Formats: sequence, structure tokens, C-alpha cells
Amino acid sequence: MIEVSGLTKRYGGFTAVRDLSLAVQPGEVLGLVGPNGAGKTSTLRCLAGIIPATAGNVRIAGRDISTDPVAAKRALAFFPDEPRLFDYLTIRQHLNFVARIYGVADHEAIAGPLLEELEIADKADQLPGELSRGMKQKLAIACGLLHRPSVMFFDEPLTGLDPLGIRRMKDSILKRAREGAAVILSSHLLHLLQEVCSHVLILKKGEKIAHGTLSEISAQFANGESGVSLEEIFIRATGGSEH
Amino acid sequence: MLGALLYLRLTSLKNQLISRAKRLRQLKYLLGALVGGAYVYFLFFRNFGGASGSRGAARTATTQALAALPSSEALAQTLPLIAAVSALLLLGIVILAWVIPSTTPGLRFTEAEIAFLFPAPISRRALINCKLLSSQFSILFTSLFFTLISNRWTFLGGNALTHAFGWWFVLSTLNLHFTGAALTLSRLVESGVSPLRRRLTVLGGLAVVVGLTVAWVWRDLRAPDAEDFAGVAPFTAYLLGLLDHGVLGALLVPFKFVVGPFLAPDARTFLLSLAPALLVMVAHYSWVLRMETSFEEASLAAAEKRSARLVSVREGKSVFASARTQARPGPFYLSSSGRPELAFLWKNLLSTATYFNLRVLATAAAIILVGSKWFLSGTTPDIRAARVVVGMISLAAGAYVLLLGPHLARQDLRGDMPHADILKTYPLRGWELLLGQILTPVAILTGLTWLCLLGAALTLQPTGRMALLLTPSGQWAIALGIAALTPFVCALQLLILNGATIIFPAWFHSLRAVGPGGGIELMGQRLIFVFGQFIVILTALLPASLAAFALIFATQWLIGATAAIALATLVVLVVLAGEVWCALWWLGERFDRLDVSSELRP
Repeated sequence: MIEVSGLTKRYGGFTAVRDLSLAVQPGEVLGLVGPNGAGKTSTLRCLAGIIPATAGNVRIAGRDISTDPVAAKRALAFFPDEPRLFDYLTIRQHLNFVARIYGVADHEAIAGPLLEELEIADKADQLPGELSRGMKQKLAIACGLLHRPSVMFFDEPLTGLDPLGIRRMKDSILKRAREGAAVILSSHLLHLLQEVCSHVLILKKGEKIAHGTLSEISAQFANGESGVSLEEIFIRATGGSEH
Repeated sequence: MLGALLYLRLTSLKNQLISRAKRLRQLKYLLGALVGGAYVYFLFFRNFGGASGSRGAARTATTQALAALPSSEALAQTLPLIAAVSALLLLGIVILAWVIPSTTPGLRFTEAEIAFLFPAPISRRALINCKLLSSQFSILFTSLFFTLISNRWTFLGGNALTHAFGWWFVLSTLNLHFTGAALTLSRLVESGVSPLRRRLTVLGGLAVVVGLTVAWVWRDLRAPDAEDFAGVAPFTAYLLGLLDHGVLGALLVPFKFVVGPFLAPDARTFLLSLAPALLVMVAHYSWVLRMETSFEEASLAAAEKRSARLVSVREGKSVFASARTQARPGPFYLSSSGRPELAFLWKNLLSTATYFNLRVLATAAAIILVGSKWFLSGTTPDIRAARVVVGMISLAAGAYVLLLGPHLARQDLRGDMPHADILKTYPLRGWELLLGQILTPVAILTGLTWLCLLGAALTLQPTGRMALLLTPSGQWAIALGIAALTPFVCALQLLILNGATIIFPAWFHSLRAVGPGGGIELMGQRLIFVFGQFIVILTALLPASLAAFALIFATQWLIGATAAIALATLVVLVVLAGEVWCALWWLGERFDRLDVSSELRP
């Protein structure tokens, strides 16, 4: 569902992502982790077609994001760490706008349950300025889920959410994965990876350090010890620093 | 405490200057600084010490223009009147400070100052002193800037130094008064006085002053007659009689003290005027320090509001745009299927003022139609003259909307550029997105231009030789032709401005900087952009215009002027539509390839 081969992203002389290859199948949730500046956001943005890759191929639902971007983008949803909303559109109007962009014919039938699930149905006629940070995040998620994407990218999805919001976000990601979506999420929160992700990819300075299921990664860095925490594994894998 | 504040201000200023100097290594800032510097030089400094230099024709033209003005001696005689009018102006500004604030205005602190200073062990009085000292930095800069402008007003006498001190007195006293007013209003609110009661009290007091002045004029002064309008001197004398006596005269005395140093024509008068001006300033300072009242909460709210406005401006919205807090229904029904460009029209119309809609447009058109009918029925010379004036104003307004409107109507990609990462995830081609984005400003500007055209076409009637050349049908053909071309001209201009955003996103990013990030280099960048737009639009319109003139010249003898104009309009329409399409396609491709992460970095 998500196929990446040899992805490289350079900003001038600085290489943010170097020769990254991965594949995420329907139903899998891949956690992208790494120290600050490891290239997580650049990777996600390249995969979502927001920024062009310097080299490599990215296929979303079988479509190449660089040669057939419109078809590839129809299948994906990108959720940035900060909700980007239009100041003058209410929740309902946001969904109306997105429905027209993606051509979602029965959007009202989808939007109702979606707003109920995200618990913002009672705020449907309010502007973003009247919503809390968490509610804005929920609205951004509702906009992303409206066209039923089969591929989802989350950049730090738990930022600014309260404990209940965090629980609901985890449930929501897992639900979409169970329904067959391929998900990649980047996060610094290791407990999120433990609870949500089926696979983990560790990046450092734009390069892949490790990639596999949680148990595979644990086995790789536990050095035969038992009961090593994920935090300890992360520190061992990344060398304990950004550099 | 004041030492710490001075350290903060001076260090911030030093670091700001260093960072400005460093960014000149980037071409965009260097070019901007050169163009901005040249502009400032030619505007303010060109004539400094220019008496000995030879500037040929330009100097002669300036001399001739100055000779046409009243002499300096004649203008100097008006100084007492200038003092009175300036004092009246200050009085008006001061009254606004008491009337405008709806709730407690608070004192102007930045969010960082609030975060560091409010929890610190500092007395309220020390905080007020901090605020006053902090204001002095901007007052000093503003005084210098105003001095550059007022240095040309040679009739005032004095010199650059007295003018700089004069401006400093005016601005500092006003700042003290605003601070005192803000603290007093806070105290009034604390004691339960509502904003309405306060406004009524201030306006009531003003009404009493105006009433007493009118009564005094009625009793002791005569109404102005023809002799008062015979020249500058009698008119000045009459106005001075009005402003220098009675209640109003007494009320203006402290304000005249404040403007005294600025208006002093020589050093002796300047020195003599210092004492009264200082007296007013010290009285204000004493008043401010005595106002022991809570201002922290209101200052916090005001700082948050300013910060939100700053963020809004950095996101490409107008400085004057207010944050709307009320949701409103969509401008039209937006179904789920159909061209996606209309979704952007729908969205961007929601972000504009409510009066930009078809109903208001139709009402305005009806008013113009009815009004012009009354105008056309009048045959007196006054009505005919008024008709010409209205027609010319309509034409000028139309030209203004057409040429400058695209800079002001920013409900397009320029406003949405901060959302560029989200826009790029939409399953749309670049040209579709760009077309959708410019639809709203095209619709608004076209509507406004059509109204102006309607007004001009209905009121302007050619006379003399023009009436022979331009028949009514020809006149209407021109008006309808311009109306048909308007959306395409608007679209071209908007594509140039949006294209600049796509092709030079880093420039666009820096141009959005306001406050400490601004400066002469950004002013220069804006000038470069405006000049560039002017050149590009002229180049774009040139082929169409040449084709139109050639066609009218060649065919009017055969098919008549009206048909020739219609034919030329059709050809121009095709050329402009082709240009719009090419620009859309090319810029759309550029948007598709735009790397928002790297190019938007300042």
C-alpha cells in the first residue's frame, strides 16, 4: 500500500533523508521515531507529496506520487502536528469544502458519524477560533478521514491532546488500521509506539538505523538482556544523542 | 530595575541591527536595502546641502514650483493660526483616548515583557516607569522620522534640531496622556463606571465646550463675510478670533504649550517655549505616577490581542482585518460534486466582508441607475458640472480598483500560503488550485469595477468634437467592452501577484514580516515587486492593445465605429484569455514543483 524505495531529500547541501526504503501493508501501523532533526517530518512530507523528493520512488496505493500525484493523493490523508484550519469556516463548512475537493458524494452521511465519533458534533457550527486546541486537532482529523483514505500519515498526532483525547486518537488510528488502512506515524512518545504500532522504523540523521516489528527491534538492541524498556532500546539504537 | 530594562532594550536593538546586517548577505535583502535606501535618499535627503550643487532642470522646476507658492513671510504670518489648529488637533486626539476604549485599555506591554516583568519583584510604579522608558525608544525613532518629513516645511522656521525636540515633546506628552488616560479608565472601571457612562460624560463635556464657544461667537463675533475670505491675512485673523478666545481658547492653552517648541521659529523662542512645555509634561508624569491602579489583566488581554493580530498579518491577512468570531452561512450552496475550483470561491468568499455579495452589488447598481437618471434629467449648469465630476470620480475609482485592487484583495493563494502544505495534499492539479484561489478577488474586483463603469457611462456625456467622434452607441460599446475585459485584466494582475508568491516564496515570506523584522530592505523589496508587476502587466496588455487599435483603425471605415469596437473587444478577449490560460498552466506547474519546506524558510 505504501512503497518507498531509495527516498532521498536534500535541502541545498544538507541531506535530511538518505536512501530510505520501506513498505507498509494494509492494516499495518509503522511508527517513525528518531531524535530531533532525524528527518521524520521531511520523510512524511515527501510521502504525502507535500515536498518533492530529491531522489527515489514513492507509491501510494499503487500510484507514483511524483508522476501521478492526483490519483495518489486521492488515496491518502496527511495530519500535521499543528492543525491547519481556515479561520472563517465552521466545522461543518470545513467538511463541506473538503468534500467538494475530494468529490465525496455522500459526505453528510459520513460526516455525521465522524463528528459523533470525534465528539465535536455539538460544535459543528463553530469557527476554529472558538475551539480548543484539542478540538481543532479533531476537526483536522475529521477533514482527513472524510474521503475514507486507505493511506494515512500522522505527524506527532498526540500533540496538545488531553488524556482522553490521546486515548481516542489511539483507538481511532487502530480502528482505521483494522479496517485496512496503511498508517505511518511519527512521534517522540514511545508508549504510543508500544500501544499502536505494529512496526517501528528508527531514523537518525536521515538514515535508517532499524526497521521491523517491535519484538524484532527489541531483540536487535537488547543484547540478550531481558526486560529492556523501549526507552532504553531507543537510546541504544540512536546512540543517546542527536549527533 | 531601570538598568535591567535599558540593558534589555539596548541589547535587543544591537542584536536586531546585527541580524539585519547579516541578512544583507542574502541577495533579496541586499537588493531591497539598495532600492529602499535610494528611495529614502531621494525622498528625504536629496535636498540636504543641495544648494551648492547643480541639478539642472529638476532644480529649475523645483524653484518654479516654489515660486508659485505663497511667500515664506506670508506663511510665517499664519504661525499663530497653525499653533491654534495644531492645539485643536491634539485636543481631538486626547478626546479620542477617553472615548474610544470600550473597556479597560491597559498599558502596552509585549507578551515577553508580561512574562518576565509581571511576576518579577517589581512595584507597580516601577512597571509604569518601565513602560514609559520603553516607549521612549519608539518615540525617539518616530521623532527623527517626523523631523525628516517636517524639515521641508521651511515656512515654520527653526531647524532640524528644534523640530526633532519639538516632535519629541509632542509625542512624549501624548504618550504620557494616553498612559494616564488608560490608568484612569482602569480605575473608573474598578469603581463601577460603565463605558457608556464614561463616554457620555466626556462627550457631554465636549458638548458644553462647543456650546459655550458657539454662544460666545454668537454674542461677540460676527459671521464671516466676503472680506474675511479676501486673503490669507483676514481669514487667519478671523479664525484666530474663533480659536484664541473664550472657553475654547482657554482649553487650547496647554496644547499650545506642547506644540510651542516645534513651532518656535528661532532659538530664543524655542528656549522660551521649553518651560511651559516641560510644565505640561511634568504635570502629566505626576498624574501618571499617582494613578495606583490595577492594569495587569487588561495589559495581558491587550498583548494577546496584538500578538494574534501580528500572527494574522504574518499569515498574509490585512493589518486592518479583524478576527471574525461569528460563523455565517456559505455564500451559495456548495454541492459535493462539480468543479473543485468553486470550492475555493466558496471558501474565500466566506473570508471576505459580508457586503461582498450579489444582492449588495445589484442594490448599488440600482442606486446608480436611479441617481444617474435624476442627473441626466437636470439641465442647469450646476447639474451638468456635477455630472462631469461624478463621472470623472467614477472613472478614477474604476481605474484605482482595476490597478491597485489586486494588491488589496488578497483572498487567494497569498492568504492561503501558510496552508501550502495542506493545499499540496489535495488531489488537484496546480492550475486548478490556482484558478480556484483567484476566483474570489476576480469576482469582487470585477463587481466593483463594473459599478464604477456604470456610473461613468451613465454620467459622462462627450461634448464638442468628442461628441461627433463618440456616438452614444460607440460610448456604450466602449463601456461594455471594458466591462467584458475587466475579469481577464483582474485575473492577469492577480496571477502576477500570486505567481510572485509561487516563484519567489522566500521573498513573499520576508515581505510578510512586520514589526522588528521590517525595515528599509523590506520597503525596497515591496518597491521592486510593485515595479515588477507594473512592467509585467504592461507587457501582457501590449499585444492585445496593439491588436485592438490596429483592428479599430482598419475596420471602422467599413463596419462603423461601434462594430469595430465590438470586434476589437472580441479579439482582445481572446488574447487575454490565452494569456490567462498560459499563466495558469505555467504557474500551476510551478506550484506542483514548489518545495514548501525549503523555499519558505526566511
